[in-house]
Amino acid sequence: MRAFATRRKRFFGGISVLLVAASAVAALSVSVAQARSSAGELKGAGATFPAPLIAVWQQRYEAAKDVKITYNPIGSGGGITAITNKTVDFGASDAPLTPDQFNACNGCVQLPWVLSATSIMYNIPGAPNNLRITGAILADIYLGKIKNWNDPRIQRINRGFTMPDRAITPVYRSDSSGTTYNYTSYLNTASREWKSRVGKGTTVNWPAGVGARGSSGVSGVISRTEGALGYADVAYALKNKLKFFSVQNRAGNFARPGLVGIRAAAQADRKFSPTNELSIVNPPPGKRFRKAYPICTYSYVLLRIQSQQAALLKPFVTWALTSGQAFGPALVFQPVPKYVVERGKTTLRRVHP
Amino acid sequence: MSVAQEQVSGPAAFKRRGRFRPGDAVLYVVTLLAAVTSVVLLTLITREVLADAWPAMDKFGLKFLTTQAWDQNKELFGARSFIFGTVVTSFGALILATPISIAIALFLTELAPRWIRSVVGPLVELLAAVPTVVLGLWGILILGPFIVSTLAPALHGALGFLPIFGPPPPVGSSMFAAILILTIMMVPIISSLCRELFLGVPSELKDGALALGATRWEMVRGVVFPYARAGIAAAMILGLGRAIGEAIAVTQVIGASVAINTSLFEPGDTLASRIAGQYQGADTALQVSSLVYLAVILLVFSLVTNIIAQIVVRRVAGRHRV
Repeated sequence: MRAFATRRKRFFGGISVLLVAASAVAALSVSVAQARSSAGELKGAGATFPAPLIAVWQQRYEAAKDVKITYNPIGSGGGITAITNKTVDFGASDAPLTPDQFNACNGCVQLPWVLSATSIMYNIPGAPNNLRITGAILADIYLGKIKNWNDPRIQRINRGFTMPDRAITPVYRSDSSGTTYNYTSYLNTASREWKSRVGKGTTVNWPAGVGARGSSGVSGVISRTEGALGYADVAYALKNKLKFFSVQNRAGNFARPGLVGIRAAAQADRKFSPTNELSIVNPPPGKRFRKAYPICTYSYVLLRIQSQQAALLKPFVTWALTSGQAFGPALVFQPVPKYVVERGKTTLRRVHP
Repeated sequence: MSVAQEQVSGPAAFKRRGRFRPGDAVLYVVTLLAAVTSVVLLTLITREVLADAWPAMDKFGLKFLTTQAWDQNKELFGARSFIFGTVVTSFGALILATPISIAIALFLTELAPRWIRSVVGPLVELLAAVPTVVLGLWGILILGPFIVSTLAPALHGALGFLPIFGPPPPVGSSMFAAILILTIMMVPIISSLCRELFLGVPSELKDGALALGATRWEMVRGVVFPYARAGIAAAMILGLGRAIGEAIAVTQVIGASVAINTSLFEPGDTLASRIAGQYQGADTALQVSSLVYLAVILLVFSLVTNIIAQIVVRRVAGRHRV
């Protein structure tokens, strides 16, 4: 029994030391916060896709305008939930809101503010970067119909490299993700069977493959699994030094997910839907889209029309749409076209306290 | 936890002393409030969960339990694969974790020199402090590739005649990985409980057995195990509860597949992992509601295991009162 008592004493001793330390840290951070009085603070949450760019914005905007931006990359779905529940000042989502979600949000607007591409990454030992692939092949891989890398359809378009006799492991996001929405929207346009059997969405019923949580999970599984294939935003593939495909566009060319390919793809849709949607997935054949990378997407910022923080929010989003875009190319974010900026400014006018 | 003690409880405890003691009254009220709060909370949670799950319950009914589907585009949802995955992973982990934990506890209480006890004991408990996200990441980066390169081929080679050890997989994300991760989570719980139980075995009994010429193993088998049997059962159930409810680490390694596979090396999914994976970004009201329906099943699962635990403990304790 004595052993019990001393253990308990030690336990509580440990706890109290922890408590003291925690309160000291808390006191310190409070005093730091008070010392640096900023003009205000904006809270955001949502998609992981624009997170690398938003991270740069946070520093630059705070330095320039003295407004602190916090952003929590919890995923598109989480961003939609957060703005619906008014726990943040702005949300972010790669997939445009569904009518259901608009109703639930009750007084929200969305506007595109970031433009980039989804890369298809692979792990084939010895293979060069930027092997070629088509949407139809990708769909058949994820449908479980093409199972081996030496499939004649893959070999035929990659003449310079002998595809290995190795099983393909398709990897997908198990959590709800805007990147999945972008990718499945593309497969929808590339394969009729995909469209009827699976369809598009932030989560879908994958016929084959294994799931992984988050972009980090997907790239983790790919980098550790020989023969794996999966998707994530291109900044992620570059950061993790993973190889990714050149994907065939409808003009018949194989395009890489770079700034040129994204810029060309953005031409595909200039007509906003009433809810500010733009769909630039798999642009039509044609000279204008010769260089287009077919799996590009806008990512959206979600705002409440009636917002307490409107006075801070409007300048920030305007800045992000204009000056902020200049930080994009370094992270493979193509600056949004002028008409998107104009549309954004028009939409912002409706936002008020 | 099994040793019932004769105690006078309730208001009688402080009335009996003849003089009213405010301290005792306060203690009584505070503890009563705490107890009531837990009951109220559970009731409220159950009510809320049932209300949110109602649209899916209404639409799919009990067929939800046997439907194997999770397709938001076709608005068709079912829990069959997740119930399967939960049962397989949590019981698989229990089968692995129980002998390991008992061995650890025995070693620490009966066999190890004192200085080893004081090093290994806290280390095992520290295992419980590893955040589950970190454990899951470790599962992806280290455990998964190890399963692919070494464990799965070895198990398939030795025990391949069992359908649960199918052909080695190309990728580590599998029910097997989830079982191993859950085992790691269960071991500190079960082993530290068992250690306390074994420490609680009266030394007179142990010394008596040894004095009668029993070997150390005979003493353990004849005295320690029977004495602690009910407690071990309870510890196992506690560990099982942990495994059934674990979400994040499992989502990271199990491969989130709706398919039901006999081989443990294939991906699957559990109730908790599916909820954690998809609740935040569910697109439609029906999908949210179906996810909450999964939570209802999970709640019933936990309730049933707890009830079974109590029955087991009571029965074993009744049979082996020392």
